[in-house]
Amino acid sequence: MTAGALVFSHADETLALVVTRTEYKRLFDIYVPIAIGVFVVIVALVLFAVLRFRRRPAERAARRHENNPLEATYALVLLGVVVFLLYLTFRAEHRVDAVAAEERPQLEVNVTGAKWEWHFNYPGYGINRYSGTVGHEALVVPVDEAIRFRLVSLDVIHELWVPELRYKHDLIPGYPQAMTLTFPQRGTFSGECAEFCGLYHSRMIFTVDAVSPSEFRAWTRSEAAMAHASEPAPAGADRSLADRSRS
Amino acid sequence: MSTVARPLPSSSRVPGWVGSLASTDHKRIGLNMGLCSLFFFLVGGLMALMMRTQLAQPATHFVSDETYNELFTMHGSTMIYLFVTPMALALGMYLVPLQIGAARIAWPRIAVSGFWVWLAGGVVMQSGWLTEEGAGRAGWFAYVPLSNSSNTPGVGQDLWTLGVLLAAVGMTLIAACLLATIASRRAPGMSVLRMPVFAWTSFVSVLMVVGSFPVLVVTMALLYAERSGAHIYVGSEGVIDYQDMFWFFGHPVVYVMFFPYLGCAAEAIAVNAHKRWFGYKAFVLSMLAFSALSMSVWSHHMFTTGGVTNQYFAFTSTMLVVPAGIEYFDMIGTLIGGALVMRVSMLFALGFFIQFLIGGLSGIFIASPVLDYQAQASYMIVAHFHYTLFAGSVFGFFAGVYHWFPKITGAFLRESIGRVHLVLLAIGTNMTFGPMFVLGEEGMTRRIAEYPQHPGWGTLNLIESIGAGIIAVAVAVFLFNVWVSLRERVPAGDDPWHGHTLEWATSSPPPRLNFERPLPPITSYAPLLDLRERAARDAGAAS
Repeated sequence: MTAGALVFSHADETLALVVTRTEYKRLFDIYVPIAIGVFVVIVALVLFAVLRFRRRPAERAARRHENNPLEATYALVLLGVVVFLLYLTFRAEHRVDAVAAEERPQLEVNVTGAKWEWHFNYPGYGINRYSGTVGHEALVVPVDEAIRFRLVSLDVIHELWVPELRYKHDLIPGYPQAMTLTFPQRGTFSGECAEFCGLYHSRMIFTVDAVSPSEFRAWTRSEAAMAHASEPAPAGADRSLADRSRS
Repeated sequence: MSTVARPLPSSSRVPGWVGSLASTDHKRIGLNMGLCSLFFFLVGGLMALMMRTQLAQPATHFVSDETYNELFTMHGSTMIYLFVTPMALALGMYLVPLQIGAARIAWPRIAVSGFWVWLAGGVVMQSGWLTEEGAGRAGWFAYVPLSNSSNTPGVGQDLWTLGVLLAAVGMTLIAACLLATIASRRAPGMSVLRMPVFAWTSFVSVLMVVGSFPVLVVTMALLYAERSGAHIYVGSEGVIDYQDMFWFFGHPVVYVMFFPYLGCAAEAIAVNAHKRWFGYKAFVLSMLAFSALSMSVWSHHMFTTGGVTNQYFAFTSTMLVVPAGIEYFDMIGTLIGGALVMRVSMLFALGFFIQFLIGGLSGIFIASPVLDYQAQASYMIVAHFHYTLFAGSVFGFFAGVYHWFPKITGAFLRESIGRVHLVLLAIGTNMTFGPMFVLGEEGMTRRIAEYPQHPGWGTLNLIESIGAGIIAVAVAVFLFNVWVSLRERVPAGDDPWHGHTLEWATSSPPPRLNFERPLPPITSYAPLLDLRERAARDAGAAS
């Protein structure tokens, strides 16, 4: 099964190898130059008009105040730009959403948001990590693997954002959702709650440690060993989370 | 055109400020509402300065987290519900009846009560500061369940909810009166397609207000009920429903906060170019398309919820490129071939168009869900909407102020001080909001009382905070200009700029019933320019 998922995700280029970050960058690199180009052209036209037509006697002002054929042509050009941008956007979004909806991941992480902490639970390994006002345990993930995040909120709307991935998604109470993300490179990244969630919103942060798949497996083994050795603080924190959701 | 002889509802019956507040003269109502909005602008600006002090460095702890949350909530709420939107309506209330040659507005008593209800809403909202738990602190859109009574308890949040409700009721009434005035009080000859550009921008704005603000009233009434123990926004559907209802108001209002200021800038450019606004018919069509689209883009605020059809809202939002492009085309068409006078009103108007462009282009960017997945709720969004609302609308507002101040007071504002005002405001604005694009792209979340010490973030935030200080100085320069100009008046006469529209065909300030002389023939959307052009042609033919 695991091998199947591996083969699947590495063979089908339109799915697991599509990385949110790459899709974002590809679109960014088209949208932003167009925007800068439009800005430059309009500023240049305004500057030209101001320098060329200022300080003339009022009588010399042109009377022409309409050119509807030109305006209609221009509107059609704009419509063409809209179609072009939407084509690119829909294509990219299809890929990103297809990946986000990918249901044959190599790793699953249950993400629970609650004021003002993150609880990352690895159901396959029995590992729990907490970050936010309760502490600063990193979310450890393997690179280049499709990871399914199941998002649940216990109180208000939170939002999982890892800026490095160029992707975020809401955690809505009573509306469990899931998304599949892939971390393309190793490193330590910051993560945060993007949706304002009350008093200590700014402290609802975490870090991501993206490590190689073998390092990740080694980490899961050592965590499991530690969990067996000493019965843990995480269970206590877990209770506090659950308590708060009931109150 | 009523011929029934009855005593005029006159403000002179009750002297002093009570009489002024009770006046049913549209100019008085507009001026009162505008002055109150301006006061709220200063209040909201003070909150922004406190926020920028807090954010000048990663963890200054200038105010507590709790106070910071109140500050950004009340800053946004004050600026949107109590300054930019009501100011847009106040400008319309003062100017539109003059521009369409009306002596009075329709339903003046409803209009004046609308002003009172709106003002009461502002007072109620701000009175939250006096409560034990402090003012509203769930953000200006107060998403449920954060804004319910278990997550945000306290009277302050109740007062916020009631305040928004009242302000929305008041503004709906004002807008309804303007709509009725445009529908029924246009002077003979003033067909809909001869209404001036500013009047058109007001017209589409009040259409949107009447169509969308009642939804806000209901949303807030239900939120108030929810806070009082009813179960309204239940479950995940309730969460998404609230957002749908809120943004059904919350996006059109963005355009209500834009069109009238676009109208100000357009009038200032046309008059200072000695040319009528270019492409009037296309402009009117684009306004209608713009307002129709803006009523159907609301869920682009919800791309990351997983609860809306992203493609549809990406489509409608990106379509806004077409009407927006038409406006820029018409602006440049007006400039080219004109005889430009670079007065302060003209400079502010050009500043409006150029800086708004940054807000608009970044708006196209975030209309793409894939790009919005990164930008949403980040400082990128904060930069985007401040470029539209502050760098855009506020510059358009000042273009309007410098343009119509002589009409409203009979005296000029000082041009030299105005230039200082403009330069400082432009520098401060771009210093404050420019770096936010970079910070947002790099991952800085909005609405955080402290931020991580990533490389460069402290510096960029410090630049923003200094910029905010420069904005404050610029606003002080403006207030000084008003004070000097009223104290040592330079009389402006009735038509100092050779205006195009009917408000320039009466005295400054206009009399109680607006026009004591007969109106000039209304032959187009620029009737006074028609007169001058005809006179020039006749003189040419005679010689």
